[in-house]
Amino acid sequence: MSQATVSRDTVQRGTGRRGALARRLGGREGVAGWAILAVLVLIAVLAPVLAPHGVNTIDDSRILAGPDLSHPFGYDDLGRDLLSRVLYAYRVSLGISIGSVLLAMVVGIPVGVLAGYAGGWTDMLLMRGIDLLLAFPALLLAISLIAILGPGTLVALIAIAVIYVPIMARVVRSSVLVVRGQPYVTGARARGATHLAIIRGHVLPNAIGPVLVQASVLMAFAIVIEAALSFLGLGSQPPTPELGLMLAEGNDYVTTAPWVEVFPGLAIAVTVLAFNLIGDGLRRSFDPNWIAR
Amino acid sequence: MNARLGYVVRRILLTIPVLFVTSVFVFLLIRLVPGDPVRTMLGMRATPQNVATVRAQLGLDHSLPEQYWDWLRGALHGDLGTDFVSHEQITSLLGQALPVTLELTVLAMLLALLVGVPVGVLVAARAGWVRRISSGFVIAAISIPDFWLGIMLVLLFTGALRALPPTGWVPLTQDPVQNLRFIILPVVTLAAGQSAYLLRTTSAAMLGTLGEPYVAFLRAKGLRQRSVIYLHALRNASGPIVTVTGIQFGVLLGGAIVIENLFALPGVGTLVVTAINARDYVVVQGGVLVIAFLFIGVNLVTDIVHGLLDPRVVEAGAR
Repeated sequence: MSQATVSRDTVQRGTGRRGALARRLGGREGVAGWAILAVLVLIAVLAPVLAPHGVNTIDDSRILAGPDLSHPFGYDDLGRDLLSRVLYAYRVSLGISIGSVLLAMVVGIPVGVLAGYAGGWTDMLLMRGIDLLLAFPALLLAISLIAILGPGTLVALIAIAVIYVPIMARVVRSSVLVVRGQPYVTGARARGATHLAIIRGHVLPNAIGPVLVQASVLMAFAIVIEAALSFLGLGSQPPTPELGLMLAEGNDYVTTAPWVEVFPGLAIAVTVLAFNLIGDGLRRSFDPNWIAR
Repeated sequence: MNARLGYVVRRILLTIPVLFVTSVFVFLLIRLVPGDPVRTMLGMRATPQNVATVRAQLGLDHSLPEQYWDWLRGALHGDLGTDFVSHEQITSLLGQALPVTLELTVLAMLLALLVGVPVGVLVAARAGWVRRISSGFVIAAISIPDFWLGIMLVLLFTGALRALPPTGWVPLTQDPVQNLRFIILPVVTLAAGQSAYLLRTTSAAMLGTLGEPYVAFLRAKGLRQRSVIYLHALRNASGPIVTVTGIQFGVLLGGAIVIENLFALPGVGTLVVTAINARDYVVVQGGVLVIAFLFIGVNLVTDIVHGLLDPRVVEAGAR
């Protein structure tokens, strides 16, 4: 089936403005993903208002106490309210995932555009460099950087951004390669438009689709990587409310006080799920040939 | 045949600069630590004599290229230095840890392949609710962080069911049955997410090949469904499956670092993380080098297997 027929089908199936918006967001799953993310962002922003108790308030008579009505997630190993800590932890998780991907885009997009648009030697040199970075297992690269710089939330953000730059650059490049050959780019060049104007006006807007899909998938992974790093003691440090760190702190008590492990983990999974749903949705809306559902 | 040999040789040659840059990075790892790496490393034990000894051992008084050359020569002869904490040779520490990591990752990959590929084929051959359920499973499985899944499995199997030991280790050569009891939860933990990726890749690749004209032709010729799927379509869909298996093995090596720590398995990952927290950079260096080289080796093998399975790859490379 040719691409043209599929996209015409898709266009005809949409009804009205609401249908168009839902399609743009990636169908039912995509809408669900955006809805979950919106709620999580609200939680992160409003954490100080929503949190029923102090994030570092210790009640040493309630160490590892189970959930009750005013503390639905129970208490952690120092007697702190888990629900409040999970709510605050969304600030770190979402901050790291969005921050690291934005940072990777700021560096990766120019590199990818330059490689794809210029072609030739520039392309070859840049891509060899990128391939070298990709020849290292991602998590190992992050851990090595942390070994050098020392652990911390900001270092984790930077380390994740570093492992994302080559991935971003590759996606941007291959997307630019497709756009570069389109008639409207040749036309703009014939009109005498400058390269910068062509890149800004034609190449970037048309090449951005796959980049956004990749960005949402990478945001999902960033949450897991940050949590894993903190779990290992290499990311956020105590007493930061961070989901991976909470899992590490409660790991010795998993059989006696399972709530210290269940709720932070669920919180991670829900966030990752939201970004994955958004990614799948975007993929479907940008690529009409997407079949693997 | 010549084209194939050329492809293999070219692919091996391409690995040399990668190995070189990796070794330079690993070598620089100690030297890039801000401040005085030797003082950071020794911490409380940084007496003037100790600092001088370690500095001499690392050759930090020589120029960088000289240091690199000395380090590389040592590494090629199996000498990666001495651990300042345990006073053991780094290579002997790695020699004990590597079999654990390899056992964990290889078993996890095998389990993921055994689940992901057959189910992926089944899903591709059916439409409707089977595919919907499997896509739901895939997105759930890749959204659950593996180390949290591990914690939940511990909760279930050692807490509630009391069926398995929570953490610990017995080498495979010492007692295979006990070894299996210790490694089964880590393997399942690592394999779960991987099997989801392989399922998705397999079913997508199979859907692609099952739509090709030659499949319609084979069916028209009267070939049985089973031989169409397993003899012809699966072989042509194997390219992406092999590639993803290779890529995922890298992810698995990274994941093993976390899972080994979670289950207290004495593998390379545990070695590296413990060493980072103890600022024992020489051990970090050795562990990073081993995992990185393993990863590069797996990538090489993946590309070669992919090329030999799919002649189109060799042709594309020759052009």
